[in-house]
Amino acid sequence: MNALLLSALMGVVMMFSGIVLKSKAAIRNIAIAGMLALLLVNILEMNGTVFLVIDSKGMIGFDRFALLFNSIIFFSTFLYLTLSARDMEKVGVNYAEYLALIFFILCGIALVSSFRSLIILFLGIEIISIPLYILTGSDKLNLKSNEASLKYFLLGSFSTGLMLMGIALIYGAKGTFYTSGINMVNGAISPLLIAGMLLLMFSMAFKVSVAPFHFWTPDVYDGAPTVFTSFMATIVKAGVFIAFIRLFDEGFASQQPKWKLIIAILTAATLLIGNITAVFQQSVKRMLAYSSIAQAGFMLLSVYAMSPDSKEGLILYAAAYCMATIGIFAVLIKMSDYTFDGFNGFAKQQPLLAAVTTIFLLSLAGIPLTAGFMAKFYMIKAAMYNSGLLWLPILALVMAAVSVSYYFRVIQAMYFRESSTPSTLTVTPAFRYTLVALAALVVLLGIFPNLLLAWLYF
Amino acid sequence: MENVLQIVWLIPFLPLLGFLVNGLGRKYMPKAMVSIVGCGVILASFLMSIWVFIHVREGGGYVADYFNFIVVDKLKIPFALQVDELSSLFLMIITGVGFLIHVYSTAYMHEEKPEHFGRYFAYLNLFVFSMLLLVMGANYVIMFIGWEGVGLCSYLLIGYWFKNVAFNKAANKAFVMNRIGDLAFLIAIFWIIAKVGNANYADVIAFAKAGKFGASDITVITLLLFVGATGKSAQIPLYTWLPDAMAGPTPVSALIHAATMVTAGIYMIARSNALYSLSDLTMHVVTYVGLATAILAATIAVQQNDIKKVLAYSTVSQLGYMFMALGLGAYSAAVFHVMTHAFFKALLFLGSGSVIHAMSGEQDIRNMGGLGKKLKITSFTFLMGCIAIAGIPPFSGFFSKDAILLSAFEENKALYAVALLGALLTAFYMFRLFFITFTGKFRGTEDQAHHVHESPLSMTLPLIILAVLALAGGWVGIPEVFMKGGDKLSAFLSPVIPVKEGESPGHSTELALMAISTIAVLAVIAFSWFRFRGYQRKGEAQGLAKVLENKWYVDELYEKIIVKPLQQFGSFLNDVFERSVVDGLVNGVGRAVSYSSRQLRLLQSGQVGSYVLLMVLSMLLIFVLQFFLRK
Amino acid sequence: MFQLLQSGLNGTGAGSYLPVVIQIIFAVGLVAFLMVVTHMLGPKRKTTDKLQNFSSGIESHGDARHPMAIKYFLTAILFVLFDVEVIFFYPYAVNFKMLGWNGFWAVMLFVAFFLCGFIYIIKKGALKWED
Repeated sequence: MNALLLSALMGVVMMFSGIVLKSKAAIRNIAIAGMLALLLVNILEMNGTVFLVIDSKGMIGFDRFALLFNSIIFFSTFLYLTLSARDMEKVGVNYAEYLALIFFILCGIALVSSFRSLIILFLGIEIISIPLYILTGSDKLNLKSNEASLKYFLLGSFSTGLMLMGIALIYGAKGTFYTSGINMVNGAISPLLIAGMLLLMFSMAFKVSVAPFHFWTPDVYDGAPTVFTSFMATIVKAGVFIAFIRLFDEGFASQQPKWKLIIAILTAATLLIGNITAVFQQSVKRMLAYSSIAQAGFMLLSVYAMSPDSKEGLILYAAAYCMATIGIFAVLIKMSDYTFDGFNGFAKQQPLLAAVTTIFLLSLAGIPLTAGFMAKFYMIKAAMYNSGLLWLPILALVMAAVSVSYYFRVIQAMYFRESSTPSTLTVTPAFRYTLVALAALVVLLGIFPNLLLAWLYF
Repeated sequence: MENVLQIVWLIPFLPLLGFLVNGLGRKYMPKAMVSIVGCGVILASFLMSIWVFIHVREGGGYVADYFNFIVVDKLKIPFALQVDELSSLFLMIITGVGFLIHVYSTAYMHEEKPEHFGRYFAYLNLFVFSMLLLVMGANYVIMFIGWEGVGLCSYLLIGYWFKNVAFNKAANKAFVMNRIGDLAFLIAIFWIIAKVGNANYADVIAFAKAGKFGASDITVITLLLFVGATGKSAQIPLYTWLPDAMAGPTPVSALIHAATMVTAGIYMIARSNALYSLSDLTMHVVTYVGLATAILAATIAVQQNDIKKVLAYSTVSQLGYMFMALGLGAYSAAVFHVMTHAFFKALLFLGSGSVIHAMSGEQDIRNMGGLGKKLKITSFTFLMGCIAIAGIPPFSGFFSKDAILLSAFEENKALYAVALLGALLTAFYMFRLFFITFTGKFRGTEDQAHHVHESPLSMTLPLIILAVLALAGGWVGIPEVFMKGGDKLSAFLSPVIPVKEGESPGHSTELALMAISTIAVLAVIAFSWFRFRGYQRKGEAQGLAKVLENKWYVDELYEKIIVKPLQQFGSFLNDVFERSVVDGLVNGVGRAVSYSSRQLRLLQSGQVGSYVLLMVLSMLLIFVLQFFLRK
Repeated sequence: MFQLLQSGLNGTGAGSYLPVVIQIIFAVGLVAFLMVVTHMLGPKRKTTDKLQNFSSGIESHGDARHPMAIKYFLTAILFVLFDVEVIFFYPYAVNFKMLGWNGFWAVMLFVAFFLCGFIYIIKKGALKWED
């Protein structure tokens, strides 16, 4: 509740900071300080300190899982802002508004991570989506950005329609919006409920870009300004995933036989399409878009397995994925050429940045001693334990192997190719230190995943 | 109350600390400081080992459990250290002898550049750390960490002079041979875990004692463990790396390839004695492999001319004796021999180092001679070592070797005869070495003759201490015949290694056997005195001598029957199988992926309409699947 | 017919949607029917005048796809936005007593955010008609 209120408040503060303050550095500092405060109050709430109790009639419930997840989200956003907030200046003039929108999105994530009622879920998803449409189109003079924004808006509205239809059908079947009520089994299962559940599943699948609802992802991620792609692909995606798992854990647990196979099929399709299409991409940015689809496939395994193990896995996966991808994007934003060739000889020009980028890529590929490995391990373990389907974890493993091929293309370009143009890249020392700290964190979590998971229980 | 032995982690930790300090600071620290750190940590460990030893003697063993090293589902591998009678004895040997060798090294290596000097001591400390971990681990997994660690350090130290290609090859050979053994050891550990559920010694032994192992399981496990031991302890067929390992600096040979690392296999089998006692087949294999190694290596040693090679083959041969003792169930005799052997073999190696040092790097004994006059301390201590290894009472070697020969006699008279023959060969080649090196006329160059000098105190002092130990070290295991309750060692080890029950051949027989071996050894020494006192360089060796000089052509044999066919098979795989089948498969998969990647990409048309169409179609498909196709 | 509707209402499951289906059929059928009927019955006189746009008798010039000042849309959309938000007061007004102080503060919060938004658009100059 703390974070929910503060994030909304911070959004308003950021809006006005753009009017009151002229210095962009000051605006940025307020945003980063606000982000820290957000993280702090959330951690305080984990320890039981709640500043303002608002009776939501049980529509919102902050449990340990949600709070820890929010902490990860806020921490990742904090890192994201320290690394990349400076680069938002290049996008357009409305600097403060971009930051405000990011805070509003966080407010939406805080809502969807703790919803107990489908109304709140809908509200949260919309609070997340609408600012994203704006951020995607924020580079107003760039045609690709405009196109991406429009596409995102059209397709997003389509999925919102599906969600509303789903919620309506479920209300029709059950007469309640509360997930606990929906989960209750009384009498025969109405086909309305199943249809509504499927529609909800489709719209959630759309939001986290699960195949075959992923089509918007490459176009939008590619078209959006890279700073915001970084945010969308990591924090937002992870945030919506927690809603996904919560919805199916609390709302439809009793219908498991009805959706398990379909989720398995969606997972398999996502893994296949995401990984295989990524292989052929020429632009690192677009490759990362497909990679985010592929990673969504892995995260979907947690919905599929649906066990305490898989929740731990999702926590770890969200952290690992967010940190690594934010790191890569932070470097990518600085590059002038987004193709694989743009990375040629990078290791010679910027040995440190190349090294940390390599760590992030290794983590995404799931190489041991990085957080990504542990995350994949937990996911696949959960999937193995909780299913009769052995082919799914095996497919996941094979696809993880395929993913190595495109992640390593970047490493190969950085270390084994000669650059044709001299580097024009300049970074601040603070940027370097933050990146190194991030890389250290990735490795640390890869060795001691319990550092993070222990927070779930104490 | 927490047991005071909980802090035994300090014993391996200190050398690790030394490794880190010396390794990281090797470019900044002067040699004196490196020496102080390097030796100091080992001395501290040694003092702690004595303290632990006293505690164990009074209060028995203790397992110090620190944290869970590996937790996978039900399998828990704790990071636990065990100090009991067996390991505390090994601790003393490792740190004690190790300390002397460290001190010796400070003088022996003083001509190295500071940076390499630091590297050397870092490796040496790391080695001691690994070895301590090996003997202190309370389960097979921790032992395996140490096991791999010593293998690594051995590799690093053999190849210490890494600019010499031949040395690097020797290091590689040692590493590969060790790896073959390690693989078997690892499989054995997996097997044990699969059967017992964990790898703690206590649990494994309890499991074995309860008779829960199947007969075939126990045989396979013990055989695999033994293969592991043959790698590390240089037994047939994996022994050839040890003589080549003499490429390393001489103190390394003394520490690793004589006193400590090569006894790891003995330690491991002694530790697993409860398992071994259950499998007669394995026991026989161990006995005969040990005996064969002992004889084979002894015969080779007879014709070697490199001072260190002689000692190397002697080590292989002595290790063979220890294995024979293990195979005969005389575990405590084997451990006893490990201890005495550590003293006199370290002494001999360090003595040879002193000789090499004096001769400015010359290792060929044909170019030496008459050194006794100039190197008084070295030659005297060397002689002590020779007497000890030859087994003349009251030197330490006598007691331990006698214990082994006695157990051979109990088992089988023919076995005894062959073993005795080996002992005589030992006396022969050792005194051959001594007489050629230290008596007669000097056969080296003028330069060398001029330069020959006694080594500094930091080299001779360890020699003297070791010589005393080589003399007196055996007195902890005096047989019953001479002194009631004289065999303190067996009594001490009895909690870990049960004393063998069974009728002894009687005191008179025992005395007779001792007399026979002593007289025979003296005769052999006399023979070699007459033969080698006025040694002159001869031409090319002929006949059997040539075969021996070439080590029975075992290396060549391995080359012919293992390496060549493997290479041919490898090149077949490379040229034919790899190219057509594997590459085809791999590239095929790659091509399939990139083909489908290109095709899938076409789905991404950029048209919102087609996206929506595809989405709706797949939704319909799922609805159909959900409502009509499933039941 | 009536019987059919009645049975549909009483039943459970998919049968209960029968009235809806019937209504859809009626709706589509009626539209189709009317369109066909007008085409058949109505007199047909084709002149150019009939194809002209007609808006309150004023002559039209150009077409609707002219570029317009963004301010026009902005003002319009802001009007709609605030207008729609005001609608929230109706349900509040109806439940005013029942919701009590808790509801009051919730609505105050709503109004506060609302006001923030209003101040923001004024400060940003979104409602300034002249440059």
